[in-house]
Amino acid sequence: MLLDIRKLTIDFPPSRKRKAVRALEDVSLRLEAGESVSIVGESGSGKTTLIRCISGHVTPTSGSVSLFGVDIARAAGRRLVDLRRRCGVVSQDPYGSLPPTLTVLEAVMEPWILVRGREERQAGERTARALLEELGIGREEILSSRVRLSLSGGQRQRVAIARSLVLEPELLLCDEPTSMQDASTRGDILRILQRRQEAGMSMIFVTHDLFLARKAASRGLVLYRGEAVEEGFCRDFLASPQHPYTKALVAALPKLSSSGTYAGESDGR
Amino acid sequence: MRHLLARWSFWCLLLLVLTALFGGRLFDAPPEREVAAAFSKPLWIERDLPPTKEFRLSADTPSLRFDWRYAPPSRLSLRIDPSVGQTGRFVEWRKPGAPEPLHLAPLRGGFEADGRDIAFKRSLGLPPFGDAAASLFSERGSYELALSGEGGFEGEVVLKLEGGRWGLLGTDQRGRDVAALFVAGVRVSLIVGIFATLLATFLGTSFGLAAGYLGGWIDGLLMRIVDLLLSIPLLPVLMALAALWGKGLWQLVLILSVFSWMGTARTVRALVLTLRDAPYIEGLRGLGAPPGYILRKHLLPETLPVLLATMTLGVPGAILSEAGLSFLGLSDPRVISWGRMLHEAHSFGAFTAGAWWMLLPPGLGIALLCLVFLDLGKFLEERVDPRLRKGVRS
Amino acid sequence: MISIRNLSITYGRMTSRGRSGETRAVKNLSLSVEKGKLFALAGESGSGKSSVLMAIPGLLPEGTRVSGEILLDGRNLTALSEEELNALRWRRIALIPQGAMNSFTPVLTVGRHLEEVLDVHLGLSKRSARERTDELLGMAGLDASLASRYPHELSGGQKQRAAIALALACDPDWLLCDEPTTALDVITQKGIVDTLKSLVETKGVGMLLVSHDLPLAASVCSRLFIMKEGALVEEGTPREIVVHPKNPHSAALVNALLELEREE
Repeated sequence: MLLDIRKLTIDFPPSRKRKAVRALEDVSLRLEAGESVSIVGESGSGKTTLIRCISGHVTPTSGSVSLFGVDIARAAGRRLVDLRRRCGVVSQDPYGSLPPTLTVLEAVMEPWILVRGREERQAGERTARALLEELGIGREEILSSRVRLSLSGGQRQRVAIARSLVLEPELLLCDEPTSMQDASTRGDILRILQRRQEAGMSMIFVTHDLFLARKAASRGLVLYRGEAVEEGFCRDFLASPQHPYTKALVAALPKLSSSGTYAGESDGR
Repeated sequence: MRHLLARWSFWCLLLLVLTALFGGRLFDAPPEREVAAAFSKPLWIERDLPPTKEFRLSADTPSLRFDWRYAPPSRLSLRIDPSVGQTGRFVEWRKPGAPEPLHLAPLRGGFEADGRDIAFKRSLGLPPFGDAAASLFSERGSYELALSGEGGFEGEVVLKLEGGRWGLLGTDQRGRDVAALFVAGVRVSLIVGIFATLLATFLGTSFGLAAGYLGGWIDGLLMRIVDLLLSIPLLPVLMALAALWGKGLWQLVLILSVFSWMGTARTVRALVLTLRDAPYIEGLRGLGAPPGYILRKHLLPETLPVLLATMTLGVPGAILSEAGLSFLGLSDPRVISWGRMLHEAHSFGAFTAGAWWMLLPPGLGIALLCLVFLDLGKFLEERVDPRLRKGVRS
Repeated sequence: MISIRNLSITYGRMTSRGRSGETRAVKNLSLSVEKGKLFALAGESGSGKSSVLMAIPGLLPEGTRVSGEILLDGRNLTALSEEELNALRWRRIALIPQGAMNSFTPVLTVGRHLEEVLDVHLGLSKRSARERTDELLGMAGLDASLASRYPHELSGGQKQRAAIALALACDPDWLLCDEPTTALDVITQKGIVDTLKSLVETKGVGMLLVSHDLPLAASVCSRLFIMKEGALVEEGTPREIVVHPKNPHSAALVNALLELEREE
């Protein structure tokens, strides 16, 4: 089993700024190799904490998280690094995900060279170029320009995705990878991720958008205030939501198609 | 780059550096050499005062005719080379409108007379407390210095006249050429300013990176040291250390840098703290990148633009510290610096003598050098700033 | 009625040495909006929609070149002086700029923010100001007790509603909203746009809402304008645009969004 999370609870102790917070309560999730799941949640739902726990940056207060068969809470040093190398992380903000001083090509190659060593540089460059080409960034002047200077938000996110895919991870953790992107980029990014999934990569896709969740994975988990309130297939969340929160989410979701399919209140009166 | 070339301070700095490197060649004598009377004024003021001049008679020039349009010189001296030997001839002096020449001295090798010598005055027919120079140069007009009789001879006859004027910037209390001293001082100011700041920046960056990235007790310790050093007043410590360690130039550079790295350390540390938790840094740490790699490849390049500007802005501080210490007399007396020049001017009576040319050049020089670096630093900050901003939306 | 005719906006690109080139943010745009209805201006980032909004009350940065006309009931706003525009701002045209919810002064309570505006612009006494504050908070969907809270104590949605209350202070004819829902949760977003819509319906203000979220804009507006790269590429009712988009750019956009919603 790729990922086995059982009754995970995470408390953050009180600090000067806030009281104690229970970020996650009793969350369970199982993922086989090649499977993907969408996690639907808004801010405060604990979704980011969940991702950070899977990547080993946050320790569970109780419950267990087993990644590639290893208990993440007990892994340390070399073992933890080896586990992390098999995961990729795509975060929401593309501005913090890329080192500003490197060129685009170097930024994508960096994880490869770090892990495989300088001798494998040529192979790393080939892989990086192929990835960037696939993501629609092929022009030489972009590849050799510094990250800091010339990329738009959409381009940055693509480069960030390339950087996270260069080590061919078995599991990709995506935290709202498209929320800061325009509609046109969103579709492209989803397609690229889907291609990887078809090739066997597992993915955990966190989003607040039910439509995106459904596109990203067939299975889903709805998080609300740290608890898993609904679990099942994403299309069922949309078609027949059970929990009141899921219902509220579906009701709030702005649907473009609704503007066209029937004459509602917005028909130009 | 072209923005840099458009900046006045760049050209000024270039000029100053060239002066520091090659300026000495403009002068015949090393700056410590005494060249004229003390407190001689610059040539271009008070044209009434005579300049300091030398007249040489030799086999090729047995006579010299010149116009003397000034007041009499303050001193004169006559020297005849030993190689001349005995000739029975005289050194003649013709005043304007005088029919007969005066005999200044017999043409005898080894003869030396100063205008204040009583014997010399008597030979000219002057009372013992008269002024030989004033008497010899009593009028303005055409004079002639010549040798009586005919025939060749060896060696030279040198008539040295000390006027009240010399050179571009006059002389100091010891008769040294102020312009030569000024040029020599550029070197010291630049060396101290640049090296002290370089060393301070190196120290500050290293400590700042360590404190910011490693955190924990290292951070705590380093920041307490920073607080300690910041609370110590610089000048008394420098004075004490100067007394203990001696007053050499490199000691000064070392001391100045030890006491000025703290600001840089704080800035670098703050920058590192903001960068340390960026997702990509966290990701690299997760992949097993050692701290040295992250510091070297990512954090240091991020701090460099800020460092360049901070460094340039720190140079005036070092220059002023050096000038201040030198002014207080705490620097090596053998080393010529602008601050030292001001010290000597102050201590040896330039104010009383009204010798403003000793004070203005070094003072203005220090101010100019500081302004040059301040302008360059401002330029570098402007260059760095737009790139630190993360994109601009219209 | 606000009528925009042939509006072009050009920004100078500022560097440390002054202008070094220009960006044409808006190219020859014309549109009109009426009171009593909610109009939406949608487009991707960089399409110029915020620039159009900021041009109406004359709040573009110094050195921006504006050509064309913006007619407010026949009066050309681009030709007015700063004093004349000042008289209109907040009283007839109220703007809720992008990121307004993060622009509160942290040392003043929400109530004090409102009282200050009421004092400066309407000269209300303390008691009438306090009454009006409660009224405004209610209109924005907030409980009156929030007047004594500080901005950092409020959630994102509450802060945005407070910004709406501020904009309503002087009972304006027009409300201009720039991205009022970004960075908010989906459910909160729906609450905010529902409140905005009810304001239009109950108070009869005219509203121009700018958003990059096309489905959200389409779900509440009567008429939709779509911009791309500074030009107006499509206008019509949401239904018209979704079912029969005329411009290839807007057609592509609509299709991309519909595809997301479609089940595979």
